[in-house]
Amino acid sequence: MKKEKPRIAFFDFACCEGCQLTVLQLEEKLLDLLDHVEVAAWRVAISGGSDAYDIAFCEGSISNREDEERLHRIRETAGTVVSLGTCASIGCHNALKNQWTGGEVLELVYGGEAGRFETLPARPVASVVPVDYQILGCPASLPEIEIVLKRILTGQPHPLPNNPVCVECKRNDNLCVLEKGVMCLGPVTRCGCDAICTSYGDACQGCRGLVDEPNLEAAVRVLTENHRHAIMDAVARGLRVDRERIRTWFSLYNGPDLQLEQEKTGHGP
Amino acid sequence: MPETGKRAGVPADWTYLPEPARIVSIRREAVDAVIELELADRSALGHKPGQFVQVSMFGFGEIPISICSSPTRTGRFKLCVRPAGHVSNALYRASEGDWVGIRGPFGRGFPIRTMRNRDVLAVAGGIGLAPLRSLIQYVRDNREAYGRLVVVYGARNPSLILFRTDVEAWTRGEDVEMFLTVDEADESWTGRTGVVTGPLKEIDLSTRSTVAAVVGPPVMFRFVAAELLAKGMNRRRIFFSLERRFECGIGKCGHCQLNGMYVCQDGPVFRYSDLEGFSEAVEARAPER
Amino acid sequence: MMRDRSLPSYCVISPGSVLDFTAGILGKGPVMGPMVRPDQPGFHVFDRLRRPEDLVLEYTTTTMPPKKAFFPPTETVFRFSAGDPPNLTPVRGDPPWVLLGVHPCDLSAIDALDRAYSFPPPDRRWRHNRDRSIIVGVDCMPDEYCFCDSLGVSQARRPCDLFLTEIERGYLVETHTRAGGELLGEARTSNALGQDFLEAEHRRRQKALGIQARLSADPGRLADFLEAEPFQEIWEDIAARCYSCGSCNTTCPACFCFTMDDVFHWDLQSGERRRAWDSCQLLDFAAVAGGHRFREDRWQRVRHRWHRKFLHLYRRFGRPFCTGCGRCSRACTADINILDETNRIIAAATKGRGHA
Ligand SMILES: Cc1cc2nc3c(=O)[nH]c(=O)nc-3n(C[C@H](O)[C@H](O)[C@H](O)COP(=O)(O)OP(=O)(O)OC[C@H]3O[C@@H](n4cnc5c(N)ncnc54)[C@H](O)[C@@H]3O)c2cc1C
Ligand code: SF4
Ligand code: SF4
Ligand code: SF4
Repeated sequence: MKKEKPRIAFFDFACCEGCQLTVLQLEEKLLDLLDHVEVAAWRVAISGGSDAYDIAFCEGSISNREDEERLHRIRETAGTVVSLGTCASIGCHNALKNQWTGGEVLELVYGGEAGRFETLPARPVASVVPVDYQILGCPASLPEIEIVLKRILTGQPHPLPNNPVCVECKRNDNLCVLEKGVMCLGPVTRCGCDAICTSYGDACQGCRGLVDEPNLEAAVRVLTENHRHAIMDAVARGLRVDRERIRTWFSLYNGPDLQLEQEKTGHGP
Repeated sequence: MPETGKRAGVPADWTYLPEPARIVSIRREAVDAVIELELADRSALGHKPGQFVQVSMFGFGEIPISICSSPTRTGRFKLCVRPAGHVSNALYRASEGDWVGIRGPFGRGFPIRTMRNRDVLAVAGGIGLAPLRSLIQYVRDNREAYGRLVVVYGARNPSLILFRTDVEAWTRGEDVEMFLTVDEADESWTGRTGVVTGPLKEIDLSTRSTVAAVVGPPVMFRFVAAELLAKGMNRRRIFFSLERRFECGIGKCGHCQLNGMYVCQDGPVFRYSDLEGFSEAVEARAPER
Repeated sequence: MMRDRSLPSYCVISPGSVLDFTAGILGKGPVMGPMVRPDQPGFHVFDRLRRPEDLVLEYTTTTMPPKKAFFPPTETVFRFSAGDPPNLTPVRGDPPWVLLGVHPCDLSAIDALDRAYSFPPPDRRWRHNRDRSIIVGVDCMPDEYCFCDSLGVSQARRPCDLFLTEIERGYLVETHTRAGGELLGEARTSNALGQDFLEAEHRRRQKALGIQARLSADPGRLADFLEAEPFQEIWEDIAARCYSCGSCNTTCPACFCFTMDDVFHWDLQSGERRRAWDSCQLLDFAAVAGGHRFREDRWQRVRHRWHRKFLHLYRRFGRPFCTGCGRCSRACTADINILDETNRIIAAATKGRGHA
């Protein structure tokens, strides 16, 4: 029995297209993937494209009306919609602009020409249409891309992993970057990236969004109060952190998440 | 060293390696599927009522499911699966002839020895009927060894009633006193409505000679406990079967720890009087009177 | 196993001979031991030794405990592929033949896991791996996080085959098992003299003196305290600071919880079941389908960590599941120190009783 291969397509909205490029990093596994799917449209990989597809990967945030309409059309065509990467799943840097009004943003970017453009607050795909699968990461995490592809193709759901990055970091036997006096967002960030940044010795920047029930109050406390732990003390003093700095740092990727968290719990950094 | 749940002929070396079992038949209803299984080597499972198996859907995962058939019936065994998530959905969608993996049986089942010569009260809520069905069948198949058999079963609504044929047979049967109730009735429903504590209030139990087995959602336990205690039942003769997350089924993975106990090994069936001492047995706290 | 009455026996090995000995065994099978972290000098890691000179016998601690030799952070348990019936291929563990340089606390943690994993029904993966390895212990110098002495494990020798204590002439070698003796058969050693024993004893005393940090009650009393009192405010106070990141568990040599997951291979027919370290501090650790979490509140998970280590497993296996190695305090991303917090519990329990 030969089954029809599902057709996949990639679409980009407000983003850098880095996530699509990450999919190309599957390299030889791409050939495996092509055993199971046909590519209907994928601008960064092939030219041309078709309007008939089953699985749509949407990359980027939705930040104007045309985007919205295009996304609705995609949703109507595709049986399965995947938000690819943090811009599409949470809002990422794009959402930084949401702290200002649309008018202010246009003014800032286009100055006198502002009147010629239109903008909306940057939103993740899921706040415009229902999404079946989410892939996080900036750029999208390679291990998660692979898992989600397999899960789609075997008819399995993919609930977002809900452990902090520290779990994967430790499974990789990394030295915690805190031991080097570097502050890390791993303890409040959703895993699924196989702790790629900390495995290379860098701090986690929180690009995959917050875990459920992150203890943000703890982060502030840990970073700003007295420490018995010499290492934590060095970290805090070295960074000369205050609430404002912590907030800025946390919002780099997590603006929308932070807002939700703050509404829910009444506090945040 | 004796190993629970190990049958002759199974290599004991591979702690987490399941045995293949084939789906002989699957009867899918709106809210559950009753799956009949046969081990690849056709051996009997050798379980006791109230025990469970770890069921694998290869590529999906492994979950605990109670055995809902009695060991007194044929070499095959049955599971009743309610789609509730990742693995259970996949099991629910499986087809006849598919292969799954089985480890077990594991756990302490119902106290069939304590129940001997006593009256048996089975209280089931929702999917809780699955493990109790195995007990009910067992008691019916060894009828002379037990006293009265009283079954109280509550479903959320008429369409969610499990094992309809069995329930009807028990209702007709001389040897079972069956009380069926639904939380919310629909137009066609002519039976009892309300939660399981309703019928419990009515039933005249000889509390000194009754042993109760209770399986249901967490919210149910405490109300049933309160009712049974109010009727004068001994807390040592009330048994609850608890649910936790299991990754191994053999008391190693740590997920099911309940105070000093592992639910998978020391349970899932516990005496109410023991549970009262466990700060983490949140579902078993009788409401303040 | 039968006790050999000639054991333990003693001899001395020179530093040069240790190198030769290591080189000798490296040629014969996989060896794991402590070495300098390639990514960060000054820190150590247990890993596969490739060159004898990489072995570091003087180190304070490693990020991950040596339990990973027998219970890797992630591993494949079996593979499956389609068939009628499906083909299930168990994947055996791949333990080192020799595990070198294990400190007493970590030996004691392996003993803890021996007890837990051998409790019927046993985890045969653990046993399989343990039975294939020879363990060489080495004495240590404590750092500011260690409190092993008050848990009675600072001089632990079980379960090791050989144990080294540094002395002037090299190392005093204790041979504890026949397997250890056979392994040592490869090395150039000399007889241990009175002076060597004195030096080793002196070193042990120095070490005990060096361990400043102490639990203020013995494990038995601690278990009684935890059983008797709720300590609710303490748990809540710790929880207010805790991220639930799990690092205290994943770095602990005596923790052994895990989770299992399936992955398909790219043919989408075959695949494998994988096991990975887990942590009871994580939000979903005790979640069941439908979303109910049996330890929903952070403080409940914090309490569980203390209860499991110092009460439940203590009662079940006759020893605390903490060795005082201090890894969790060092690893805690939120500055929570297990010793300080435990002593706070003890202080609260003994307050007003006229003894502390
Ligand atoms: C002793 C016993 C007997 C049972 N008998 C029956 C029975 O007869 N019939 C029946 O239908 N059910 C039964 N159950 C319940 C059944 O085991 C669960 O419905 C099943 O485990 C759900 O698994 P799932 O993969 O379908 O659901 P999921 O919700 O997908 O969960 C899979 C597992 O992972 C956990 N999990 C959920 N989310 C996460 C996350 N984000 N990260 C990590 N882990 C997560 C869950 O707690 C669950 O254990 C029984 C349970 C027990 C303990
Ligand atoms: S490096 Fe970051 S992610 Fe890794 S353990 Fe430390 S805090 Fe957690
Ligand atoms: S609990 Fe902490 S101090 Fe105790 S053994 Fe584990 S890591 Fe070491
Ligand atoms: S390492 Fe610290 S912050 Fe993380 S779970 Fe443990 S106690 Fe909490």
